[in-house]
Amino acid sequence: MLGSYDFCGHYEWTFTWLNNRGGPELLSGFWEEAISRDSQLHARELIAQEGIEGMKAYWGYTLAEESPELGFRITVRDGVFRIDMHDCPSKGFLTRNGLEQYPDYCDHCIGWIGPMMRDTGFVIDHEHNHRGQCWWEMRSTDDERSPGAIASLSGGSDVRSRADWDDLETPIDRFCRAHSAAQKESS
Amino acid sequence: MKRDSSGVLPYTDSKPQGAADFYFAINATFRFLLDSQPGGAWEDYLEQLGREYFAPVNSAWKEEGLPMVAEYWRAFFGAEPGSEVVVEEGEGRVEIDVKVCPAIRHFRTQGRCPVSRYCEHCEILGQARARAAGMGMSLVGGNGSCRHTYFEDPDEAPARVPGSICEATL
Repeated sequence: MLGSYDFCGHYEWTFTWLNNRGGPELLSGFWEEAISRDSQLHARELIAQEGIEGMKAYWGYTLAEESPELGFRITVRDGVFRIDMHDCPSKGFLTRNGLEQYPDYCDHCIGWIGPMMRDTGFVIDHEHNHRGQCWWEMRSTDDERSPGAIASLSGGSDVRSRADWDDLETPIDRFCRAHSAAQKESS
Repeated sequence: MKRDSSGVLPYTDSKPQGAADFYFAINATFRFLLDSQPGGAWEDYLEQLGREYFAPVNSAWKEEGLPMVAEYWRAFFGAEPGSEVVVEEGEGRVEIDVKVCPAIRHFRTQGRCPVSRYCEHCEILGQARARAAGMGMSLVGGNGSCRHTYFEDPDEAPARVPGSICEATL
């Protein structure tokens, strides 16, 4: 049986299997069709119906379940939903257990969240540093503002204010008003 | 094999049990492969996953035999939320009596439809892992409760009887 306790391990292994079989198109199709539209249907319905309130309900529940140590902070302010992830439970599982088949596991999040936000009328600004830390800002597609400066939205919880946010060795991947992993810009 | 605190699971986590909603993603992965990649891709995926991702466990089974198989499944189901399972060692075999499958239970409580072949994944995956360990494996039942048997002698594992694995339903 495939289990939930080591889900992140076989999920990450699956990315490489799909990429080897059908290239990035099959993998991005998997994230959109299987994860965004099927597995995470409950998130999609909640956000379609309730917008930012639905994001609060979904991520407030799911991150607390996956990361009981609360290695994250959710901020809702001025029409923006923001997550600062300081200790990603999913990437942390892989790192602790020495599991790395696919070169950028972190892409899977925008791979499924991106299409959901596109379809529900939001855009994403996001960065991840490949070491279990990232930030997200979701705002209405009609809102043309850029992401806030460091600490402007989430204060001292802004993950970018950490001394170890940018170790200058691992590239930081950036996504601006994005909906897919293909829209990546790396530092 | 690197092991968790129980001594038999290959990976460690900060939580004692997995999050049940991950069963949705496993089911969605199966649906995606069955629908978009016809011609045996789903079976190939499970067999390769069994040989490669589970290689550390398979090696431990091969080295330590049926007692490790039994201990592994006790620890595995102990980490799966909502499972009710009895694991027993017999002469040359280990029987895993899944009284309540945690995945099917979660699909039902959440109103999420499993792919009809969901229960076959346990057989395909289990047989690939057993072969890698020099053992045999069979499965009967499904759709919420089933029995997995691991055989020390692979020749003792019976061939599947058509219809012996139930289709999964909501």
